[in-house]
Amino acid sequence: MIKVTHVTKTYDDGKVRVEALRGINVEIKNGEFTAIVGPSGSGKTTLLNIIGGLDTPTEGNVIIGETNIAQLSENQLIDFRLNHIGFVFQSYNLIPVLTAKENVEFLMLLQNKSEAERDERTTKLLKAVGLEDQINKKPNEMSGGQQQRVAVARALASKPDFILADEPTANLDSASTANLLDIMYRLNQEENMTFVFSTHDQRVIDRAKRVITVEDGKILSDIYT
Amino acid sequence: MSFWDKQPYITFVPFVMLFKLAWRNIFRNKRRSIITVSSIIFAVIFAVFMRSLQYGAYGNMLKNIVSSYLGYIQVHKQGFWTEKTLDNSFSPEDITYLLDHENIGYLSYRIEGFALASKDDNSKPVALLGLDVQQEKNRLGLDKKVVQGEYFTNRKTGILVGIGLRDIMSLRLGDSIIFLSQGYQGSMASGSYPIIGFIDLKTPELNKRTVIMDLAQAQEFFAMPNMVTTAVLGLKNDNWEETQQEVIARVDTNQLEVLNWNEMLPELQQLIAVDKAGGLFVLFILYSIITFSLFGTVLMLTEERSFEYGVLIAVGMAKNKVIIVAILETILMAITGIIAGLAFAFPVVLYFNIYPINLSGQMQEVVEKYGFEALIPTSLDPSIALSHAGIIFFIVLVVNMYTIVKIKRLEPIKAMRR
Ligand SMILES: Nc1ncnc2c1ncn2[C@@H]1O[C@H](COP(=O)(O)OP(=O)(O)OP(=O)(O)O)[C@@H](O)[C@H]1O
Ligand SMILES: [Mg+2]
Repeated sequence: MIKVTHVTKTYDDGKVRVEALRGINVEIKNGEFTAIVGPSGSGKTTLLNIIGGLDTPTEGNVIIGETNIAQLSENQLIDFRLNHIGFVFQSYNLIPVLTAKENVEFLMLLQNKSEAERDERTTKLLKAVGLEDQINKKPNEMSGGQQQRVAVARALASKPDFILADEPTANLDSASTANLLDIMYRLNQEENMTFVFSTHDQRVIDRAKRVITVEDGKILSDIYT
Repeated sequence: MSFWDKQPYITFVPFVMLFKLAWRNIFRNKRRSIITVSSIIFAVIFAVFMRSLQYGAYGNMLKNIVSSYLGYIQVHKQGFWTEKTLDNSFSPEDITYLLDHENIGYLSYRIEGFALASKDDNSKPVALLGLDVQQEKNRLGLDKKVVQGEYFTNRKTGILVGIGLRDIMSLRLGDSIIFLSQGYQGSMASGSYPIIGFIDLKTPELNKRTVIMDLAQAQEFFAMPNMVTTAVLGLKNDNWEETQQEVIARVDTNQLEVLNWNEMLPELQQLIAVDKAGGLFVLFILYSIITFSLFGTVLMLTEERSFEYGVLIAVGMAKNKVIIVAILETILMAITGIIAGLAFAFPVVLYFNIYPINLSGQMQEVVEKYGFEALIPTSLDPSIALSHAGIIFFIVLVVNMYTIVKIKRLEPIKAMRR
């Protein structure tokens, strides 16, 4: 469970002051499949970064499970991200020198998981995203859609509490988009994995079970479909 | 369950992965990596060869000095070295107690005087040396330098003459030479001595003006019984610096002076000092270039990789581990370059150890003037190679401080913003 209370974020570089978030209150329960939508510059990325512990709120709290992540030190936060949060990025951001299999295995190595557990989970996840025949390919040998599916498998590998995805389909063609959404949706249905993603894409919005609309740093509407 | 899984605090498995990442990163920009490694190889070869040559030269010089006429340390009457007159002489009895010193094996006494040598109507000024012929035979191997006639084996009378003087004065074995000189305390010295042999002291300078006789005969000639001008200390080991200090502490320095080879050969010492400084300057330039080029590499690497470092930190990789990956990349290149450099340098250094380089120019002149061979075998001292490998490794660590600071300060969302 993610609990965001009274979160504001103001960017102030001395010259320009931008109030990216102006009092966000929202709760996301385990098992949700939630889209955050809104016009460009409305604060979607900022909100996801703050929920994911990549950025800190100016005011307010973000409580994940039992932990108020606004109070963690930098190193604690990194460790928290490793063990509790999965990330999928718009531009995939796989490690270029590692194969698909190694990319998925990577976070489990950081978690000191046993080789047997790593192998089993990597195989299972790559199969779940339909890439069991691509395990030894490097990112630059795969299509964008394939890379993003590896990224989803990587995000799941560390057994996070939820997965955050900032515009995961923005760089994908429609077939890959549909394919990725199918996979995410299935993981949500079958494994009860929580997904929170931002998007501009109406086809993606249509698949969400909950749509939170942000505008000008505030929540405009919050609709369960 | 593997062994490592029961040892959660031992992070061996991640280390293998960090190593793998660093290793593969090296091959991402092969050209740059090759340039980096080659520059290290070049630096190692150059530095090691240059220093081996220099230290080989100094080492050889020292070796020459031990076995040279001068020896490591000499004792004279105070003032003799600046004013070489027979009046600046002393009695051997004044210093025999020095034999108690554990590093002094023997004392070899000399009279070093000058005389005018005449044969028929031919006269030349010569250095007339009265030596302990038995002692110097063992120490200098003087007997082996006799090219004609014989050494003082069965006799202590007669003289050995340098081959240069022989040629100038057209001398033959058995000829007698008349010497004229001022003796001790203003007395008149003269005498006639037969030539028992001709000696080749290896340098034209010495060969032209050296005449050697037994010490006792010289004392008689100069009318200074029981007096000598010089005592050479025969050292058991090469630790001359310490020995000199201890000898100075034991003798009456108002009466006697204790000089080491450095002090007696200021010219040679200066030459070594200049040479060493020159060597250091060249090394300084070399290492400055290497430092800048490595820093350039590190700078480029850190900039290029900062997006990836941002991703790694975002997904939960501890900054210390990211730092290890980042600096391992250049460290691995450095190790490769250092090992390859040493591998190339070794045969070169070994070759010039076996087939020494012949000195030329000013260095050759000075060195030969003091009776040393003008050959320099390279030094095989492994500490030269190790110290330069160490310096390069240290430079790599230092330039990597930039990477460490950069990563410590890195904010993932900023780094991931293209
Ligand atoms: N580091 C920053 N410094 C200053 N202003 C920032 C910074 N990051 C974001 N902003 C501003 O905060 C506001 C919200 O930005 P944000 O990236 O969250 O919007 P977004 O909804 O993700 O937009 P898009 O749909 O274009 O991705 C914008 O006005 C943006 O210019
Ligand atoms: Mg955005």
